[in-house]
Amino acid sequence: MKFDATWLASLLDGAPDGGLLADKLTACGFLVELREPGDGGEIWDVEVTTNRPDAMNHRGLAREAAVATGATLHPLEISLVETGPSTDSLATVAIDDPDVCNRFCARVVRGVRRTSSPEWMQRRLANCGVRPISAVVDVTNYVLLELGQPLHAYDLTKVRGRRLVARRANVGETLVTLDGETRTLDGSMAVIADAEHVVGLAGIMGGADSEIGDDTTDVLLEAATFDALTVRRAARTLGMHTEASHRFERGADPELPPIAIDLAAALIAELTGGEVCRGRIDLCPRPRQPIELVTTASRVSAFAGVEIGAERIVEIATGLELEPHRDGDTFKITVPSFRVDLEREADLVEEVVRHIGFDAIPAALPVLPTAPGRRNPNWELVDRARTAAIAAGLAEIVTWSFIDPASDATTADLPLCPGPPVELANPLAKTQSTMRRSLLPGLLAAVRDNLNQGERRIAIFEQGRVYWRGPEGPAEAERLAVGLAGPALARDGAVDFADLKGITERLRAGLHLPPVLWRRGGAPWLDEAQGAQLEIDGGRIVGCAGLVAGATASRWDLKTPVYVVELDLGVAASQVPLPAFAELPRFPAVTADMTVEHRVELSYAELEEAVRDLAGAQVESTALIARFAGKELPAGMVRTTLRLTYRADDRSLTQSEVNEQQNGLRASLAERLGVTFA
Amino acid sequence: MGVERLEQVRASFVADLEAAAGDADAVERVRIAYAGRKAGVLLELTAALRELPNEAKREYGRALNELKKLVESSLAEAKRATAVSGGAGSASAVDVTLPGRPLPQGAEHPVHLVRRRIEEIFLRMGYDVEDGPEIEDDWHNFEALNMPPDHPARDDQDTFYIGGRNLLRTHTSPVQARIMESRRPPIRIVVPGRVYRRDSDLRHSPMFHQLEGLVVDEGITVGHLKATLETFLHALFSDQVRVRLRPGYFPFTEPSAEVDISCIFCRMAGCGVCSGSGWIEILGSGMVDPRVFEAVGIDPERYTGFAFGLGLDRVAMLQYGIPDLRQLFAGDQRLTRQFE
Repeated sequence: MKFDATWLASLLDGAPDGGLLADKLTACGFLVELREPGDGGEIWDVEVTTNRPDAMNHRGLAREAAVATGATLHPLEISLVETGPSTDSLATVAIDDPDVCNRFCARVVRGVRRTSSPEWMQRRLANCGVRPISAVVDVTNYVLLELGQPLHAYDLTKVRGRRLVARRANVGETLVTLDGETRTLDGSMAVIADAEHVVGLAGIMGGADSEIGDDTTDVLLEAATFDALTVRRAARTLGMHTEASHRFERGADPELPPIAIDLAAALIAELTGGEVCRGRIDLCPRPRQPIELVTTASRVSAFAGVEIGAERIVEIATGLELEPHRDGDTFKITVPSFRVDLEREADLVEEVVRHIGFDAIPAALPVLPTAPGRRNPNWELVDRARTAAIAAGLAEIVTWSFIDPASDATTADLPLCPGPPVELANPLAKTQSTMRRSLLPGLLAAVRDNLNQGERRIAIFEQGRVYWRGPEGPAEAERLAVGLAGPALARDGAVDFADLKGITERLRAGLHLPPVLWRRGGAPWLDEAQGAQLEIDGGRIVGCAGLVAGATASRWDLKTPVYVVELDLGVAASQVPLPAFAELPRFPAVTADMTVEHRVELSYAELEEAVRDLAGAQVESTALIARFAGKELPAGMVRTTLRLTYRADDRSLTQSEVNEQQNGLRASLAERLGVTFA
Repeated sequence: MGVERLEQVRASFVADLEAAAGDADAVERVRIAYAGRKAGVLLELTAALRELPNEAKREYGRALNELKKLVESSLAEAKRATAVSGGAGSASAVDVTLPGRPLPQGAEHPVHLVRRRIEEIFLRMGYDVEDGPEIEDDWHNFEALNMPPDHPARDDQDTFYIGGRNLLRTHTSPVQARIMESRRPPIRIVVPGRVYRRDSDLRHSPMFHQLEGLVVDEGITVGHLKATLETFLHALFSDQVRVRLRPGYFPFTEPSAEVDISCIFCRMAGCGVCSGSGWIEILGSGMVDPRVFEAVGIDPERYTGFAFGLGLDRVAMLQYGIPDLRQLFAGDQRLTRQFE
């Protein structure tokens, strides 16, 4: 909020210069964010927190400044001369619903001349960002900025029946507000009405038809307090936010309307030559009950962590107009009506700490049990996933949790799709309106953007959550996804399925996911020929991997082959098992190769399983050396070369022993699988 | 045939190898001639063992083994010698200024780099790292934190709703409430994570990352809060950094403090980053409001505590000089690769 620094200083006696004053205000909780030259002095942009509506005006801030600097706040002086007929005889006021309006003051100033406000007032208003309009309107704004009380001025002759009532709106009532908009009201909103129509939205904005005009001679002033929640809900429903609503929403001082209306009337009379009518209309159906708070100096000191003297507490409380009564260590204060934020002892303690200042409190680390800190298992898990991906040479990206619903819909058929989507009720944009159910759409968009930036080799991953609507409400789960395109990471040539599988298996091992079965799957999102779903024992699908299918790729404008994998981290062990040592072999191994010619339908997994099943106990491992498919072979046939490692644990095996075993294995493989050998 | 033959072979091998010294191809020819697997002389000598009468086998065998060892080690040495010789000017000399063959290198996103650094600092101080849902309910995100419906402070946290009582958490503070509901003091935790606010410009992103801290025990004071934040900020930035607490307002702490550090770019001379003030706002903090304790069932007469929170993205931007928050979520690998 903008303040006129000269105006602020004029309310104080013995205030320090601007720089020091700004520092002191900052130190007690009113951050002076910006000091810039204004007309005739500095303009300060001060951050007044939402719990302090009482300081959203010059006098309120000056009260804080006085306590912070030891200066004295000038008392408010109002030189009001009442000369006209009695106010009662010219206008009447009623509160129809004390729940929405708890105080309503009114005055009449007659015989005002159309004039502009004096230069000093215009300067102060302009420095605070308020455009000067006319003397009467300017005075209402000026009083708002000085005291914090919103006021409204009506042209008395335009108020039908010369009567104002604070009541709830009737459903469907309309009002053209000062900004020219037609507002349709409902029963939850509070209004000010004359004898016939609504003339103002209570605590938000006045109506256009009773506005002060060039020909206005008699002014009816209104100063009232309205219920914070009623104003807040109405302003929100109507999409309005005004100086008045900003203050009322945060809580108004019920004792301020009579003071503010007297000041405003006196100023209007002085500036326009009008006369203030006798008597102030003042309705207050439910007088405020005083609130008393109690604390002790020892409690405040224990909480702050520093000894705070009783005298200092009295000094602070006095400056803040809390009327402290001290009885030894104990303090009783009475909350002034303008401090809507003081309700409990804790609020009182805060006042003391705020004005003692954090600088005065010695820093001391707390003494707590010496147990070591530990990461929650979920953080352990996701960081293990991230560490494995980084070790595999991938660059981490972070993309939006909410995506375009059309992009999200494409993932509905993926084997990992967890359930129906979660949609935002109030998204910023349609393209960010659905919580992602897969990391792949965001990943593909990133692959595309990176390619468009001229990157040739894409090797990225994201670790993050997916979201869905579960049977018991919204649910979320951790995922890891990888995208590869262009040249392969660790070898010459373009990336292919085997690169993807190599990285995937590395991640799986790093994550301590159980072994997975690679089954053809993932179409149509993934390519039919190069797509797989990953299953663990028991058939649960924990991922899918492969080449992005043509139709999917064109949806994301991808012209280069892109390989992706997405893993569900839900089945990973939350604790990393300790590696178990195996006795080192004492005798050398012997390797022997075997080239199998077989139909392409026989998968490597099936072949390997048969080898493992049929080979003798001395076969330690089986590895793929080469897979060959060429014109030399009959159609539909491929050759697979395997290398078997043999080892005995009690002696060195001879080549001829191994050859014998190989021959036996060939025979049983031929019998079981119908394969031949090259 | 006998050990004499072994002696002859030995002599001719030594001579041949000497002649071949320094020439890799010649050494290879010698190797094939003597130790070749198909027709090397040693094969022939090994085969001859079988033909010998049993009484001669022992002596011959030992001598043969010695010869084999000699051939093997001499060849290996000769080969090493040819590899280092050839001279700097020869065609086989390596241009040592050519780049090496690169190994694949991964990289961590700057926000997570910062997260893990901060976690490490607190883990060493005995804090647990905790976690909670990103789709929250109104109770944990607002009400338990002393923000009843229609509280004006809710305006400062423009919220994404997903229907019912659910929303995207606007801060990591709801995890505070969840931990306090389920655990008794002493509590000492930090909670990093994604958070969401309905706001988008150069300095605001609808998704960003926070890290929340909470300490609850008997006798926790404002001085403890101050020392903890100073210790943390010194560890994160540098011991030279000045830390300033000034009163602020959050519904879930009282008193609340905004925490500034002296500008790390201009050392308080005034620059664009600190808007000329010399200070950079870095975190929000305060003593846990008794109403929060009441909401989660902790006795506010017995326990006090403090809480703090900071934006991880903002720290990453400050520490690495990244100008636009939204750049962090554009998925650009060139950004991450800078942090290899």
